[in-house]
Amino acid sequence: MAKKKSFQINHSLASGLEETITAAQSYSGELRVDVIPLKKIDLDPANPRDLAVTPQDLFHGLSKEDVFFQRKNEEITSLQSMANSIQEQGIINPILVYKYGEHYRLVAGERRTLASILAGKSDIQAKILDGKPSELKLSLLQWIENIERSDLSLWEKLRNLNKIISAYADIENKSLEHVTVTELSRLIGCTKPYAMSYKAVLTADEDIKQLIFENKIKNLEKAAVLASITSAETKQQAIHACLMGMPLKKLKVLAEHGKKERTLSLNHLPVHRGRQARAVNFGSTKNMQVAKLIIESVLHNKTLSYLAPYFKEANLNNYQSITSTFKNLIKKLEELNE
Amino acid sequence: MAKIIVNATHKGGEGKTTNSIMLAEYAAIILGLKTLIIDMDPQANFSGRYIPMEYDPAYKGGKIPSLHPDFEPDKDVGWDGRSSIANIFYGEEVIPYPTAIKNLELLPAHSIKLQEAEAVTKNEVLEKVHLQLKRFLELEDVKNSYEIIIIDTPPSKGPLTIAAIKAATHLVIPAQMEQFSIEGIYGMLQLWKQETYCRAKDNPLNLVGILPNQFRDINLHKSFKEDLSQRKGISDYLMPHFIKKRAIYTEILVENANPKSIFELSTKDVARIEYESACRYIMEKVMAHG
Repeated sequence: MAKKKSFQINHSLASGLEETITAAQSYSGELRVDVIPLKKIDLDPANPRDLAVTPQDLFHGLSKEDVFFQRKNEEITSLQSMANSIQEQGIINPILVYKYGEHYRLVAGERRTLASILAGKSDIQAKILDGKPSELKLSLLQWIENIERSDLSLWEKLRNLNKIISAYADIENKSLEHVTVTELSRLIGCTKPYAMSYKAVLTADEDIKQLIFENKIKNLEKAAVLASITSAETKQQAIHACLMGMPLKKLKVLAEHGKKERTLSLNHLPVHRGRQARAVNFGSTKNMQVAKLIIESVLHNKTLSYLAPYFKEANLNNYQSITSTFKNLIKKLEELNE
Repeated sequence: MAKIIVNATHKGGEGKTTNSIMLAEYAAIILGLKTLIIDMDPQANFSGRYIPMEYDPAYKGGKIPSLHPDFEPDKDVGWDGRSSIANIFYGEEVIPYPTAIKNLELLPAHSIKLQEAEAVTKNEVLEKVHLQLKRFLELEDVKNSYEIIIIDTPPSKGPLTIAAIKAATHLVIPAQMEQFSIEGIYGMLQLWKQETYCRAKDNPLNLVGILPNQFRDINLHKSFKEDLSQRKGISDYLMPHFIKKRAIYTEILVENANPKSIFELSTKDVARIEYESACRYIMEKVMAHG
């Protein structure tokens, strides 16, 4: 009997597709860069500042009467080298502002803005948000902007993520540990397995975090495997193996099999090759006695006595008839066990 | 403003070029729109369908466009008589070629020049390559000369594909319902997502959808398509049409083929009905957006 083949798109790939689409929809336009006039940029009065000098000082010149004259003058001098480089190459990273009436208010990039004014520019590249961003929104923006950057270390990513989760937990009024993997994957627009890895690493022991901090562990999945190990002994072995460059697949096996590590070989990998099994194969035998024994045991089973009438005539003296009897037997059992 | 459709996926053999051809001919022949087609693929197959391409004497296997019909060697000093879309990356003038089809003009590929642009790695230059096609298509002259622009891309996620995506208003992803192809869709969606993040809300890159292509009546293709259509989120972007694997779609590409276009077939022909409905679906979506 031909088996009907059945296929399914790999689960993580399919959810990856879904999550990508959702993320694209929810953050559409968030990283848009525009050029805006410097004159329209105001400082946000609610934001704490390091500098005393204001854009107005630079546009109109410093007044000697100003109580901060000395300090502002020093600040301007310190901005000069940045201004020089802006004159030559412009700014590399756009500043971040939000719309405030006809004007824009600064979220990030105060020094870049001031130096651009100092360089005599009239406009500047900026990312424009619709309104004042919350703490959560800011860290999320940072996240989606940075996620594609390969020069960011795992530690830096985790630090960003920690900020996001804290801000989110704050809003949701729950503790950090109670932020679920689903919430996390939705927040940062990544697949669930990925979010799961992040969560595992965020709650990892200090020794693992330290290694990530030192950039000795760079791979998220590996770090997650290490974080999942409960036995201290196995963990030490796994950390050592990881630092020696053991591939992820083997590291997983090591984490699961713990002590059997010495006898590790490919044979021990859980291998599922080929199509998924959808039926039981009872095998075959050349020994007719064995076959007869199996069939008769079933027929003599008291709870299956209803089967007997169907097999009264059964001939169990050659391979062919035994085989067909066995098939019939299975068929009957299937009918009655549907 | 001209609508700009890009057919993209970084896996090869999915039907990007075929789909570009069908859309271009549907727009020009059936809808009678002023259509510009742009070939960003160094393989130059799209170009070769509409104008004669020559082997590049300087670069074995590469192709260059033939001499422009308007080229007058005596008058046009300082021009070698050929023009390709690659010129935009070298600050050179670009002159579209007329084709045998009314309303249809072509900016052909130039293998080596495109490959050089694709191979750029320095960050400052890379940014220029990424934005160059967009800047070119935003020129008043270009914008006002066409109603629809169709871009064919190379099978990569490199600078040329990114340039096309940055320039486009609409994205179409043709894909077979097979493992590697679905992975290809995933890769393209990443580009779309990144681009969507960066676009102004009033100028989005609209994802028209995934067009199941080279579809065969086999369990794998049926199950994968069914699977995608069952998933919330994806189903909105899976086109309600699909293209079967048929000989006619490759036969029309042969030199001196007859018919040369599926739009020369009878309106009752199943292949024409099939592809024309897909084209109609895409173009209706494209023309409907702002």
